[in-house]
Amino acid sequence: MAAPTSHDTHATTEAQGHGEGGLPQFQTQHWAGQMGYLLVLFFLLYFLIAKVFAPRLRRVMDERRETISGAVATARQVQAEAAEQAALAQADLAKARADARATAAAAKARVTEEANARQAAEEAVVNARIAEAEAAIAKTRDAAMGNVSTIASDAAGAMVERLTGQAATKAELDLAKGAV
Amino acid sequence: MADPLHQFKIQPLVDFGAVNLPVFGHTQLAITNSHVAMTVAFVAIVLFLQLVTSSAKVVPGRLQTAGESLFDMIDGVTDSIIGHDGRKYFPFVFSLFLLVLVMNLLGMFLSFTATSQLAVTVTFAALTILLVIGVGFLKNGLGFFKLFWPASAPLVLRPVVGAIEFLSFLLRPVTLALRLFGNMLGGHVALKIFAGFVVALGAGAFVGEGLGLWGLPIAALSMTMVVALTALEFLVAFLQAFVFAVLASIYLNDVVNLGEGH
Repeated sequence: MAAPTSHDTHATTEAQGHGEGGLPQFQTQHWAGQMGYLLVLFFLLYFLIAKVFAPRLRRVMDERRETISGAVATARQVQAEAAEQAALAQADLAKARADARATAAAAKARVTEEANARQAAEEAVVNARIAEAEAAIAKTRDAAMGNVSTIASDAAGAMVERLTGQAATKAELDLAKGAV
Repeated sequence: MADPLHQFKIQPLVDFGAVNLPVFGHTQLAITNSHVAMTVAFVAIVLFLQLVTSSAKVVPGRLQTAGESLFDMIDGVTDSIIGHDGRKYFPFVFSLFLLVLVMNLLGMFLSFTATSQLAVTVTFAALTILLVIGVGFLKNGLGFFKLFWPASAPLVLRPVVGAIEFLSFLLRPVTLALRLFGNMLGGHVALKIFAGFVVALGAGAFVGEGLGLWGLPIAALSMTMVVALTALEFLVAFLQAFVFAVLASIYLNDVVNLGEGH
């Protein structure tokens, strides 16, 4: 690329440069050629960019923007659906948990009630038997207590007969028993 | 030492003879090294854009990403500075930017820098300012002159501020052309001078002339400068193209949105 510009040797161009003096840029005999050519190139490039390159790139970039925004929208939607389903599942779970708790509580209550009833029934039976037994004991004791005075009279009569040699009358025995 | 200005010399390669043109006076018509550099820049830009856009995909490759980032950068400039109408002026600013950028960059590789020619930078500046004036009159008619009548300034000061505005408008093409020209000229002259030191002092050390062996450290220092300046010149090459594009957008914005943002 640089080949065409480097065919001059330094020696000759140095001589030229020093001979003319000043900046080479101010040698206006080359201006018109450069300016005209640059204008042509500039307008060529301008039309190429305006009509070909910029629309192509803008199309791709718009397409990309649409793709990205579409994907984001889809993702948002899917996320919303997932959240909704999660909420539903959560609700189901809560309901099931509440049901289970209620069932457990009901079963516990029923079992407790049955146990209480059975206990009460057995207690009644046992109490009845205790009462019966107590009644029998009282009756036996009363009978025994009834016999005690007879035994005391007999024992007193026998003691009196042995001591005095003669039997005491029943009235005397009763009197004596009452005095003790 | 080699003449640092030699690199800017126009060398006719194919001569078509001389003519007298109305404005330019004595003119030599020829295909010169400047024409070659401009053509190489133009062909490189078109090839690059063709490669970038011919098989442009939604998921871009490396080359397409590079092209799109340049495109996006200038699109962002025109869009943010000119606003809604920015897209209409994008091809102009993008052409300007690419031509200046590639001519600057080719100057780092070829022996000739087209943008260090005053004729080239004047052409870019004239194109820009003529477009600004044209758009100004087409869009606003004679309202274009409101550009020099600052409504926000106090009435007493308006003629003065207006005169300053007018003067600054006249200077715009001059500064546009001279900024780019000066940067390219200065950078390449500095590069050439330091590179010349390296060779001259190095050779002097070997044949025992000039500074002799003392020339070696200075040659080494100059070499360091050449490397650093080369890096700097790459930065300047890009920066000046970008500055040109931004300024063109700002000047266009002045007339496109005349009386809106002032």
